[in-house]
Amino acid sequence: MTGTEVAAVGVVTGWGQSVVALPSDAARAAGGRRVIAALRPSLVGERFRRATRECLLGVAAVEALLREASLGREEIRGGETALVYVTAAAYGSANHDFIVAGAADAGAVSVGAGAARTEHSVGGLRKAHAGPVASNTLHFPYTAPSAVPAEVAIEFGLTGPYVILLGGASAMIDGLWQATLLLGRGQCRRALVLAVETFAECEPLWARGRWLLRPPLVESAACALLVPGPRRATYAPASTPSPLEALVRVRAGETLACAPLIALALARASGGAGPLRLTGEWRGRRAGLVWETP
Amino acid sequence: MITEPVAIVAAGAVTPIGADLDAFWSGLVIGTDGISRIERFPVDDLRVRLGGEIKKLKRERQGDCRASQLLFAAADDLRARASLDAPPARVAVVLGTALGGVEEGEKALAHDPSARRAAAALYDGPASALARRLGARGPVMTVSTACASGATALGVAADLLRSDAADLVVTGGYDILCRFVMRGFDALRSLTRDRARPFDRRRSGLLLGEGAALVLMARDRDAGGRRLGRLLGHASASDGAHVAAPDPDGRGLERAIREALAQAEVGVADIDFVSAHGTATPLNDRVEAAVLRRVLDAHAGRIPVNAIKGALGHTMGAAATLEAVMCLLASREGVVPPTVGLEERDPECELDLVATAPRAVRPRVSLSTSLGFGGCNAALVLEGDGR
Repeated sequence: MTGTEVAAVGVVTGWGQSVVALPSDAARAAGGRRVIAALRPSLVGERFRRATRECLLGVAAVEALLREASLGREEIRGGETALVYVTAAAYGSANHDFIVAGAADAGAVSVGAGAARTEHSVGGLRKAHAGPVASNTLHFPYTAPSAVPAEVAIEFGLTGPYVILLGGASAMIDGLWQATLLLGRGQCRRALVLAVETFAECEPLWARGRWLLRPPLVESAACALLVPGPRRATYAPASTPSPLEALVRVRAGETLACAPLIALALARASGGAGPLRLTGEWRGRRAGLVWETP
Repeated sequence: MITEPVAIVAAGAVTPIGADLDAFWSGLVIGTDGISRIERFPVDDLRVRLGGEIKKLKRERQGDCRASQLLFAAADDLRARASLDAPPARVAVVLGTALGGVEEGEKALAHDPSARRAAAALYDGPASALARRLGARGPVMTVSTACASGATALGVAADLLRSDAADLVVTGGYDILCRFVMRGFDALRSLTRDRARPFDRRRSGLLLGEGAALVLMARDRDAGGRRLGRLLGHASASDGAHVAAPDPDGRGLERAIREALAQAEVGVADIDFVSAHGTATPLNDRVEAAVLRRVLDAHAGRIPVNAIKGALGHTMGAAATLEAVMCLLASREGVVPPTVGLEERDPECELDLVATAPRAVRPRVSLSTSLGFGGCNAALVLEGDGR
């Protein structure tokens, strides 16, 4: 098994582009807002007309990564790039829209195709973003968690190994570990590890599960590029949060699967040398990944 | 071998054709049709009202979502065949699903404001519920590569064992039939009003089903004499072509198969049997048959191929695990189950298809293929323990 290293990290959050936009104290900066929404990225192209906001955020995160690394799209295209995608909640908005549209079809609420979204829909759910209600037929494939990485794979021509994990920060630790294995076994020459989290469409639903999701919920998309390198990654359970996990919590808020990637971006921004210790917790399980030079 | 083989110690299942592994297997061999009119939720407004619905579970517990109930039923079956004899922190759970707890999401959005329902709406909820029930305190993961999830999960589980992150892994896949998914596939016109006919000239679409399949995996050197078979290789690849349809050239599937064979250090000449994804949609079966002919090359005419979705419906996250288990049971029992629904072979899908009757062969090495929404492709190479 060969070692790995993190070559670049791209971050987009409800606070803005890159970790430079993160406040020093997310809770204070939220000012009582439960969700800090990320704007729908304005990506050009007919293909994006039907794509959901979470798909566009995924594409935007990869573009941010390419900018940071000064890489062209052609440098990640093809079967030598693995894509590992992790999310806890990003499929929620597409599911919500599909369920609402179905309820509308059944006459439960008045939501017409092509009309502006209602302010209140079934279950008292508030719509955060105006826009057309997707028709059932075209919208259904976007309810699958695999829709976001699919759009990213199509956009950037990624045809390598493919893993999708569901869960919060610990699942992202699992995802990073999977990427190191794919690289270590020589199944790819580089790995994009991507996370997207959106909350706005299902804000009242997430508010009910507040022991799982502690506000402010900050919509985020982040992507790390892993390549072969000198560091050995060790994957193991962790009993306590690493300083980076705690820092991300304070500065970014609740970003679920994006948190370990934001931690990587913060670590790179600080220029810290030495072992890199990442941890992430979800549903009572804390996983850890330590990168160190043997 | 590029990757160390991993033992599949035992399996458990709950399916539309049988409430446990033995009933599933005998149902497959005799060609039981598990498709019926859906009764658990309203379907009168849908074009297609049929599916592989499990009518009754052995033990239904109030308060558990249906996905968890299917998993618990499969886990009870598994534990009747093998014990989890490892410290709890060394037992992991890795599950594949396309839909997770989406039915709980429907209820939460529609009428049930409880916090419990909201948390269960997240797709990784059932895996956590199963881990709690099993007392497993190692890594708990949910894989969601759409309808390839049940294959990817086995690959991730094998990685946990090879990395020494666990000593035992309970892994597999599940999904339920619910109104959400029926409405979606119905709107896409992917469902047939006929029956699902994999690789048949008249095939006109798939039918959905539900089920759960779990296997207990251990490092091969730790498995001792207890073994249903081994996972020799696994691989995945993205199409990067379309959100909902397979790449018409099947390039992602081909890459996944070739990589899985390379990992297993298995040549095409070594393959004894192929369990195809075989959804019975016109495009999937044509693409898959073409890929298999390319990969199997001169051996394509002599390697038996079947698809079991005609009997069960497409059980989504459970499908690939059920098919992997079927490969191992075929090796143990010396018979390959038929492809229910296949009556008139499609010349465009020319393969050695096991059609209307089971075939007496004892495959040692099997290849199992899976495709899913989002261009997810996966392949498993399995070795049965049949003598």
